[in-house]
Amino acid sequence: MIVMLPEWLTPLLSEQTVKLLEYLTNGKHLAWYASFRYTVIAAVAGGLLAVVFGLLGASLKQSKWAPLRWIGNIYTTMVRGIPDVLFLLFFPLAFEQFVEWMWAYQSCTPEERAMATGWPLCDNAQWLLSSTEYLILACFSFGIVYGAFAANVIYGAMRAVPKGQLEAAHAFGFSSSQVFWHFQVRQMWVYALPGLSNVWLSLIKATSLLSLLQIVDIVQWAGRLGAPNYLPMAGLVHPDWRWKYYFVLFLLYILMTYLSERFFAYLQKRASRGMVRAS
Amino acid sequence: MDLTAIPFFNDLVTLFKPALFNIYFALASIPFGFPFAILLALAKTSSKRWLRWPAEVFIYAFRGSPLFIQFFMFYSLMLSFNQTLWKPLGVSEFVLHPLFIGPIVLVLNTSAYAAEIFYGALRSIPKGEIEAARATGMNTWQEFWVVKWPNMLRLAWPAYTNEVVFLFHATALVYFTLPVIDEQKDLMNKASELFKQDYALFVHFSAAAVYFLIISMLIFWVSSLFYKYLTRHLNTNRSIKLKPNYLR
Repeated sequence: MIVMLPEWLTPLLSEQTVKLLEYLTNGKHLAWYASFRYTVIAAVAGGLLAVVFGLLGASLKQSKWAPLRWIGNIYTTMVRGIPDVLFLLFFPLAFEQFVEWMWAYQSCTPEERAMATGWPLCDNAQWLLSSTEYLILACFSFGIVYGAFAANVIYGAMRAVPKGQLEAAHAFGFSSSQVFWHFQVRQMWVYALPGLSNVWLSLIKATSLLSLLQIVDIVQWAGRLGAPNYLPMAGLVHPDWRWKYYFVLFLLYILMTYLSERFFAYLQKRASRGMVRAS
Repeated sequence: MDLTAIPFFNDLVTLFKPALFNIYFALASIPFGFPFAILLALAKTSSKRWLRWPAEVFIYAFRGSPLFIQFFMFYSLMLSFNQTLWKPLGVSEFVLHPLFIGPIVLVLNTSAYAAEIFYGALRSIPKGEIEAARATGMNTWQEFWVVKWPNMLRLAWPAYTNEVVFLFHATALVYFTLPVIDEQKDLMNKASELFKQDYALFVHFSAAAVYFLIISMLIFWVSSLFYKYLTRHLNTNRSIKLKPNYLR
């Protein structure tokens, strides 16, 4: 680390500052900074998947066929009475068990399946997930849960698109699916943006829960680094510093919220170019 | 039919006591969070900068960061005072207990969210009513109790109900962050524990979900009764419905 500092700077810094810089750039801290990628990946991939699931949920809600509409309504209302953390834990585990159950029919003998009392049904049908796989499952989990929120937003936005525009498209001879995709979905983004911004802010905050899904993310690392650090060689490096590390995360999340708000304000400004706004 | 033979009903019985912990955390936070949120909202609408500014910072910080981190931060902060403060005073058992710290963090969190709701309600009070109060010579205190308070409560109630439901959902995070003492477990905690015993995911998690669902619906129901009381003077022909938001 010290090598990376420009030569003229080193004498200006006190010994303590250099020590602190060394401490903050040791291997464990670099691993902590690097683990931020999990948060970013989960937020971005989860957010994109949430929009996909949101579109799906909204079009189900809008469906002409009643059973599809029911599925859409159940999907979008279930998140209202049940905490998101329950779903976040549930979906990865459910998928894991589903895969293991499928495997059990391939790799277990019928006797083993019949004898099994617990889970997995036999040793061959056990799926030990790597952290990449956990991360993918976590992204889908975020996508499904926040997709339900997004579906509500998108559904409302779709209905806010002026009817006349859709009728005009129909009159020009576009088919129903063309009207849906090229007019309704394209026009609704302006109305959906404020709501989607809120979904995104909730999603960012939910990324702090990654450590519950067996991922060694920034929160997990902060706990490890902050714990009282004793080395036989050096003595007590530092006492319990956990609150300092968590405070850094606290500030980091506030910063992410602030930047997201700025970004969505910019998007909103751009998306509503040329629109007549009631001031 | 023997209900005890059905795992789901067994779970509902097992999870009854854990559900009380969730209810405790919510019930212990609301009486403090509600007045604190109103004070914060009033501070945010204040014209004095030294009042407005801290309230704005507090609300932004606690709405802009995850509750999960707030729990960790607050708990480790309290722990760091253990040797110097709590132990000499002999209160570390009490002060570091999850049943004490949990509600504190929930109060800080929920009051930030609720303050934003009350702030919005305070700003949408009809200007004419406030002017009328001033014209009749009310002082600030009277103006608040006669005009602002009833209006604010009525305007903010549906959104505040929503916030209470989210607060109840947030109690699921308490024992993920704070130490679990003996058999003091909440719904999520107990459900995860049951899951680790027999891996029957659907049974345990849906039993926990049923508790959350029923209690959330109870909150909506009780609150809609109160909302009816609040709006009894408004001659609306349509039945008054709470329209909860999906997001916090």
